[in-house]
Amino acid sequence: MAFVSSGYNPAVPMENRITDIGPRHFEEFYPPVIKANKGKWLYHEIIEPGVLVHVAESGDEVYTVRCGGARLMSGTLIREICDIADKHCDGYLRFTTRNNIEFMVDSKDKVEALKADLKDRKFAGGSFKFPIGGTGAGISNIVHTQGWIHCHTPATDGSGTVKATMDEMFTDFQDMRLPAKLRIAMACCLNMCGAVHCSDIAILGYHRKPPMIDHEYLDKQCEIPLAIASCPTAAIKPAKHELPDGTKVNSLAINNERCMYCGNCYTMCPSLPISDTEGDGIVLMVGGKISNRINPPKFSKVVVAFIENEMPRWPTMTQTIRRMVEAYASDARKYERVGDWAERIGWERFFEKCELEFTHHLIDDFRDHAYYTWRQSTQFKF
Amino acid sequence: MALPDNAKEMVLDYIEKKSKTKSKFYLKDFYTIFPDEGPRTVKNFINKLVGEGILEYWSSGSSTMIGLKGAGKQAGAEGE
Amino acid sequence: MAKHETPLLDQLESGPWPSFVSDMKLEAEVRAKNEAGIEFQIPVDVVDDLMGVLELSYVHGRTHWKHGGIVGVFGYGGGVIGRYCDQPEMFPGVAHFHTVRVAQPAGKYYKADYLRQLMDIWQMRGSGMTNMHGSTGDIIFLGTRTEQLEEIFYELTHNLNTDLGGSGSNLRTPADCIGSSRCEFSCYDTNALCHFLTNLYQDELHRPAFPYKFKFKFDGCPNGCVASIARSDMSFIGTWKDDIRIDQEAVQAYIGGEIAPNGGAFKGRDWGAFDIQKEVIDLCPTECMWMEGKELKIDNKECNRCMHCINAMPRALRVGQDTGLSILVGAKAPILDGQQMGSLLAPFVEVNPEDDYAAVTEVIESIWDWWMEEGKNRERLGELIRRAGFQKMLEVTGIKADARHVSEPRCNPYIFWKEDEVPGGWERDVKEYRKHHKR
Repeated sequence: MAFVSSGYNPAVPMENRITDIGPRHFEEFYPPVIKANKGKWLYHEIIEPGVLVHVAESGDEVYTVRCGGARLMSGTLIREICDIADKHCDGYLRFTTRNNIEFMVDSKDKVEALKADLKDRKFAGGSFKFPIGGTGAGISNIVHTQGWIHCHTPATDGSGTVKATMDEMFTDFQDMRLPAKLRIAMACCLNMCGAVHCSDIAILGYHRKPPMIDHEYLDKQCEIPLAIASCPTAAIKPAKHELPDGTKVNSLAINNERCMYCGNCYTMCPSLPISDTEGDGIVLMVGGKISNRINPPKFSKVVVAFIENEMPRWPTMTQTIRRMVEAYASDARKYERVGDWAERIGWERFFEKCELEFTHHLIDDFRDHAYYTWRQSTQFKF
Repeated sequence: MALPDNAKEMVLDYIEKKSKTKSKFYLKDFYTIFPDEGPRTVKNFINKLVGEGILEYWSSGSSTMIGLKGAGKQAGAEGE
Repeated sequence: MAKHETPLLDQLESGPWPSFVSDMKLEAEVRAKNEAGIEFQIPVDVVDDLMGVLELSYVHGRTHWKHGGIVGVFGYGGGVIGRYCDQPEMFPGVAHFHTVRVAQPAGKYYKADYLRQLMDIWQMRGSGMTNMHGSTGDIIFLGTRTEQLEEIFYELTHNLNTDLGGSGSNLRTPADCIGSSRCEFSCYDTNALCHFLTNLYQDELHRPAFPYKFKFKFDGCPNGCVASIARSDMSFIGTWKDDIRIDQEAVQAYIGGEIAPNGGAFKGRDWGAFDIQKEVIDLCPTECMWMEGKELKIDNKECNRCMHCINAMPRALRVGQDTGLSILVGAKAPILDGQQMGSLLAPFVEVNPEDDYAAVTEVIESIWDWWMEEGKNRERLGELIRRAGFQKMLEVTGIKADARHVSEPRCNPYIFWKEDEVPGGWERDVKEYRKHHKR
């Protein structure tokens, strides 16, 4: 493995340095039909799940075939996507905010060949490489975070929980039978690198144990003031610690009651590991949305306080999600999002219809927000 | 207001004074050295010292800290 | 043969949804065979080791990654996240495994040759594994060694005219919805504004400038497909001031069942015949629509632009033509003081590329000046607004208070008056007072 220089000379890092040039200009990547009709689109229609047509004032049409994709994606698969784009779309493609891949063609007679090509491509293990769907009143791809593949504070995996959930919900990715669109999002700890707090259904990794303290190494590995400052709830203070051999070392003490398990201290100090097999698992949240349609955006609410991590397929989690989706599908009105439905029937009824147990953990007790979520009314249902 | 001529020394002195307890600082900590300057001026100056290779950034991923190049307990461990 | 047994991950190869495990195996195999003759700059079995360490996490139910302080290439305070494996002897290929964030083009449009060039760099100098895309919007290169960071940056900037994205206490890589490039609902060119501001603020994006992270997101309309209202410190949402455009013939076509409602989004179930009264007029939150004979009428002054009627009948109704954007501020995820939605700051701002979007940048920069001065370390803008008060933000941005700023006026009367708001001020002459009021 010989080192191949890019041309960069570490002795003079500033030589020929190019900085602050930003991303490539989007217009380089617009398909011609997009460039020609930008700002002049008249309307769109979903012809079938995953296939859209947009019609412009000029009469031009662009047909889009939307495919699901795992956000974790190899260079080899990206090259295959490029080959498909070359073969059918003059090399153009785009990704959506929800990690879907969109192939666009400028006439209807190119759609069938593109679809057939996409449908035929499968991984060696049998799964689809490019399942078509993710439109309209169905379940689109899940936006998510890294999890165990690449993060130091996750309480669960990202790719695995998403794969398990989308396998379970696959027919709804390729169908549009729900009362409205349903958006699922996943974040692997409460820092929520991918904000999931406004999703119809949110899968959230959650720790339940404060960090351990590796007293013997803490002062060697970490700067104590920085570890203290990293705690958002001020639960960490300096403390002397006596090791079993009688040596006194500088270390920390954690007020466990105040810890909210964010892992920020572990980021600053590797002697404060937080993950734990039994402590870590999944929280499910429900009823958020970001659209202003009919009523304002809303936050998701916690409806399941904890589900343990069940590798590799998280069956309790996926079955709970399935139950909620089925209850919603059979009971909600057309155009009603999950949160709208829950509010109309009342949350007490939501728990009943979704066969979920309501526990004391679901009553808010965190700071000012809490009071506003208690029931200040005699209006409730038996 | 322009930064004083010895601004660099003032920054290095500040870091030296605090070095017993910590090696990394938030950008805002440096504002206190130059109370009469706007945040933007101080930011540009600190970033210039990074460009000169005197200071360096350290990131938790979500927030960034600044310290003397090579200082701190983690720098050696990472072999960076 | 696989380097590590992965019996748990193998169970994620079945099922219809694209399997990331199969994909990783594919990449591992391609690297092992190396038919393209690539001079790999990091271990050839890096993806095998990545699967190995992930399998171990599936066994333990715990992560095996540690954080590192690497922040970027020389002079950059963001764009790279340091990562080290806590079992380096078992998985030497991923002992050092840093993330590189690469700036994505607006609208996430690509051409195949460009993506291939990106992969030429990444499969040679990194693991070849990516996220398309990260939660903030960047192209994520997942895993390389420290000594490759400058090489990757050099090739990206010199050969691909592409820069790194943001991380840390910087402006984060801005992201947008597809906008008017392919969406008839979009009230402005999100791609153009996103690209312009990304370039204008490259310094803020690459070098720490702020107390904490700061995110811009651009939604073309109130449907909010890029979720700016929930996850960006400044959210730019397209809107309009004039009338919804109506094509009465198309309205009749919807009523007559000739056009599927909502762009065909409900085709998967038989919901019965489209009922404009029940499905559109009765669901209008402001009750500003009605039928007069065969004509659909809208009292546009009362419309709050929720998009429902337009979403339901896109061929009959179009957004207005006097378009601009609303700026909402302070959205964030729940850490620490609870989740916040963006709060409306500027109801209508003109979007004018001719003057370099001056109306937009003026608001941005006045907000930044305030936050840089007053924000505490690691305090998001939304938290500062709550701490200092909404009025303070109006003051620093010079925006006049307006009933649109609240969902309702305050319930408590604890109004803090400023001295200059009360005639005569607070300095009073007690002797003068005592002339008429005995002690």
